[in-house]
Amino acid sequence: MNQFDQQWRKLTALARQAGDTRAMSAPHGFATRVVARAGSRPQELAWAPFEYFALRGLMVAAAFGVMAVAFNFTNFVTSTQSDAYVSADTVDELLELS
Amino acid sequence: MADESFDLVGCLERVRQRDQVASRQLVEHLYPLVIRIVRSHLPRRVAEEDLAQDIFLKMFTRLAQYQGNVPFPHWVSRIAVTTCIDQLRAQKRRPEFRWADLSENEADVLDAVLTDERDVTPGDALEARELVHKLLDQLKPNDRLVIQLLDLDQKTIAEISAETGWNQTLVKVRAFRARRKLQKLFQELQSKEKS
Repeated sequence: MNQFDQQWRKLTALARQAGDTRAMSAPHGFATRVVARAGSRPQELAWAPFEYFALRGLMVAAAFGVMAVAFNFTNFVTSTQSDAYVSADTVDELLELS
Repeated sequence: MADESFDLVGCLERVRQRDQVASRQLVEHLYPLVIRIVRSHLPRRVAEEDLAQDIFLKMFTRLAQYQGNVPFPHWVSRIAVTTCIDQLRAQKRRPEFRWADLSENEADVLDAVLTDERDVTPGDALEARELVHKLLDQLKPNDRLVIQLLDLDQKTIAEISAETGWNQTLVKVRAFRARRKLQKLFQELQSKEKS
């Protein structure tokens, strides 16, 4: 055991001796107040956590979709343009043949 | 728990049927468990009754999610723990810990612990508790919770795991990290005191 461990143990052992004299039972009217408030709140259904994750999942999927389009946009445009040149050349070649 | 003969299963069944009397009985039955957790981790400037109320409101609104996989008090204690941690996180900034922030008695106790020049007495217990809480305030909420449960409440790793829902390895890692941070704090305090 190092010096710090000894010091910390000594301090926490002393702190534990302080105890706690505060009341452990609910204050008068606390339960009634809580139950009244709870009654006015909507219940979270069993699948509520899944709804929480589903919404975030949808947002992440949308972000990936936008990123995929953004990164590939130039490639897409270039390939369309090069296709146009290819077909133009092919027409020229056909005309030359005729 | 205050009353061992309390019919928790029957009470829960009646609470699900919106029985107000059963709901009040459930709150009163679980109050000692919740208030113990709240008092252990009470964030600064937050009234314990407000925090306890938040925890019970969450318990009622999430009751439909309770599947019975863990004992109900454990399920409630996890809600209590996460609510306290969320409150501690919301406070964000932890004030820097300085020797000057300690009261004269707290400084005496810390000095006695650090230097071993005089013995601490049971009369120093209250100051020691305040001092420990000030030191724990410097830790991250999760780390603080582990040290509180381990060193002050003297719970076992398995008990902490059940109460928090963290696995035992994670509890050990957090305890190790928290102790290292505390050790650094002690060293800083000692060097500040000397200077």
